[in-house]
Amino acid sequence: MKRILLVVKAEIFKQQKHDYHSPFVYFSLLVWPVLGFLEVYYTYKPFEITGYMGITDRKELLAFLGTGFMAYTCFWSMIQNAWSMANQERTGGTLEITFLSPANRLAISYGRALGALVQEVWMFCCFCVFILIYTGTLVLGNLVMLPFIFLLLIISSTIWGGMLNTVFMFSRDASIIMDLFDMPMTLFSGSRIPVRCFPQWAKVLSLFFPLTYCLNIIRLVLHIQEEGNGWAVDLSGLAVCLSIMVAITVILIQKVEQHNRENGELQFY
Amino acid sequence: MCSVVRDEPGNQEEGKIIARYLVKDYILKEKKGLFARGQKKVVHAVKDLSLEIPQGKITGVLGINGAGKTTTIRMLASIIAPTSGSLTMNGVDAVKNHLWVKERINVISGGERNLYWRLTAKENLRYFGSLYGLSGNSLNEKIADLLKTVSLEEAADIPVERYSKGMKQRLQIARGLINDPEYLFMDEPTLGLDIVIAKEIRRLVQELAKEKKKGILLTTHYIREAEELCDYIYVLDKGKIIAQGTREELKELFMYKPQLLIKVKPSDDHVLNLLMKHQIQVDGLSIQEPELEEVLMKIISQPDRRSQ
Repeated sequence: MKRILLVVKAEIFKQQKHDYHSPFVYFSLLVWPVLGFLEVYYTYKPFEITGYMGITDRKELLAFLGTGFMAYTCFWSMIQNAWSMANQERTGGTLEITFLSPANRLAISYGRALGALVQEVWMFCCFCVFILIYTGTLVLGNLVMLPFIFLLLIISSTIWGGMLNTVFMFSRDASIIMDLFDMPMTLFSGSRIPVRCFPQWAKVLSLFFPLTYCLNIIRLVLHIQEEGNGWAVDLSGLAVCLSIMVAITVILIQKVEQHNRENGELQFY
Repeated sequence: MCSVVRDEPGNQEEGKIIARYLVKDYILKEKKGLFARGQKKVVHAVKDLSLEIPQGKITGVLGINGAGKTTTIRMLASIIAPTSGSLTMNGVDAVKNHLWVKERINVISGGERNLYWRLTAKENLRYFGSLYGLSGNSLNEKIADLLKTVSLEEAADIPVERYSKGMKQRLQIARGLINDPEYLFMDEPTLGLDIVIAKEIRRLVQELAKEKKKGILLTTHYIREAEELCDYIYVLDKGKIIAQGTREELKELFMYKPQLLIKVKPSDDHVLNLLMKHQIQVDGLSIQEPELEEVLMKIISQPDRRSQ
């Protein structure tokens, strides 16, 4: 266990030093999500809030988008990071050197996800927390729920990111994953548009994204738009999604090693 | 640490890597176009390769481009698995127990890849050390020691991207020693380096084998380097060992005996006759040893290559 934690710690440290070495990097990691957030907010603004979407006033709309963007950014940063990490490490030859060591492969995969997550989203999360305080959603009474929300986001995003890292280790041509997950996840998970507005088929699609359950739980906790299916259902849904992703990661990582040992593919770039 | 079941190795298997009849086949897909399916071709990268790497010795693998040197190193280092054949390290099956093997080996390649360029030397070594379960003071001491060994103490906190080629190569060597491996695989470690740095690295390689008793497998394009360093040499061509032996044995097997050079004034086609008949004064006398480079060229160009 000590060795696994060492690898995770080393990955976090390496990510921070290698990829997030300048204040400008953090600046861009804050500015682009904030611009995205403002774009969606001002798209909604000209329209009258009727309560059709389960949102009753502008402050609730802000809180809805704040939570949506916070969770979405966590998940999206994992896709982006997996893609760039795999490309950089393949080209630099460090991916193969990592696999030359006896380090636990799952620890490498999850460590890379966690390292990127912490670095990429903390500033934007601060912005979202400010939005939640401004809208009166986060008050002294429920401030205690904040660590729970972050824990939920960290665990879910890391498991999601670990799976994506493994997929990108498996194939250098996995960049299609970026296109495959970005728009559907944005649209169907309820980060910007409430799921209840969708037709039935789209509601079914939303169940495939762990982000949907995460958002339902977070909004349930903060009493925003409360459209989830209740604690038990959403938590169970999330647990099932995460378990499936862990299982996929474990199987894929064995396949990556086996595939590389047969074909030496980690050196191709 | 990975645990393995040892197959009660005999004494002759201790302290060495033994490869027997290793074969590595790759399947290559031909590119025919976006939608057309190309044919699959089996490429025999290594054929029936048998060799030994004892600890405390430098074993050389020589050959021209495409001879199978890198595939051999990657197989022996457990990065890729052989298609068939057996590979043991200290008597342990290295194919089945590749994670156990990875604790005890490391690979150093020539070139500037395999390092994180935005990280400093210390940060690189700390990261790679953590992958081997090293931490705390013992890791810090190890890093300081290695940086001293490769003379990078003063550049320890400078990002690698600012390093010269030679400095990067020295850092590669430090990275390769971070887990104190029993066996080191060095794939053209002096590639593209100037003579001063290359000489320094050769001295380090010798020291690792002779003083630290590491088993070293060295591939190189520089024949003089192999001649200077290797205790035993395997010559590979088209994936097969076509000759092997110490440098002296190879020279003896494939070249004529040392040549006696007699410098005379003036030169003549029948120098020896003239010397005898007319008692011409000899101005200089030297013995010219055949160079390994000539031996290698001779071996590779022979139509009926033989394995000794």
